[in-house]
Amino acid sequence: MLLFRSEETVTQWCEARGLPKRPSINLNQLWYLAMTWYENRLTVESRRPGPDEMVEIFARVGLEGPFWDPKADQWHSAT
Amino acid sequence: MDFDTAVKLNIYETIARTTQAPTSADVAEALSTSPEEVEAALERLHKKRLLVPEPGNPSRIRMAPPFSGVETSFRVKVQDNVYYANCAWDALGIAAALQADARIEASDGYSSEPMMLEVRNGQPVPQSCVIHFAVPAAHWWDDILYT
Repeated sequence: MLLFRSEETVTQWCEARGLPKRPSINLNQLWYLAMTWYENRLTVESRRPGPDEMVEIFARVGLEGPFWDPKADQWHSAT
Repeated sequence: MDFDTAVKLNIYETIARTTQAPTSADVAEALSTSPEEVEAALERLHKKRLLVPEPGNPSRIRMAPPFSGVETSFRVKVQDNVYYANCAWDALGIAAALQADARIEASDGYSSEPMMLEVRNGQPVPQSCVIHFAVPAAHWWDDILYT
């Protein structure tokens, strides 16, 4: 994933590479994901979320559908 | 604690303390074992998607998410320490893992214009930015260095 100042530079990046525009998230969504993934990373109990957990975690910040499903074998080029 | 967990914890504790990823020899010395045993653990941890050894050099660690074993364009300053993250997600993840305030120097993915993100008192400081995912979740680990 890449960080951009605005949706405009996302569009420019995609057009420059001939790539479809795909989902973007905001800073608060990213912080939630960062905390969920890494808050306990330096502890014995730390582990990476499993695929079903990932789907639940993404849904909590409004990220739903095949693009956000690590088990999906098909996904939409959502924007 | 099993051996792989001990290896993983030693790596994370070393990075948190020194900002540098240890080599397999460093971990072996700390755990009174051999570099080969540590490298075998690294490979098992890689299969569990917890660590990424340096391609072509199993003695070094490329990624111990959220930390990068090499310098990247995501420079994370925590107190007087400078860490490097693998991506924007991991840059915030370093603040989360260390449970500390952080200032993140990054840049716009298209224009390369410098950007600054900050975590203060357990929250990101509001900032106009967008994080774009070019790769769907099912394929993130096809090439995690790209993702």
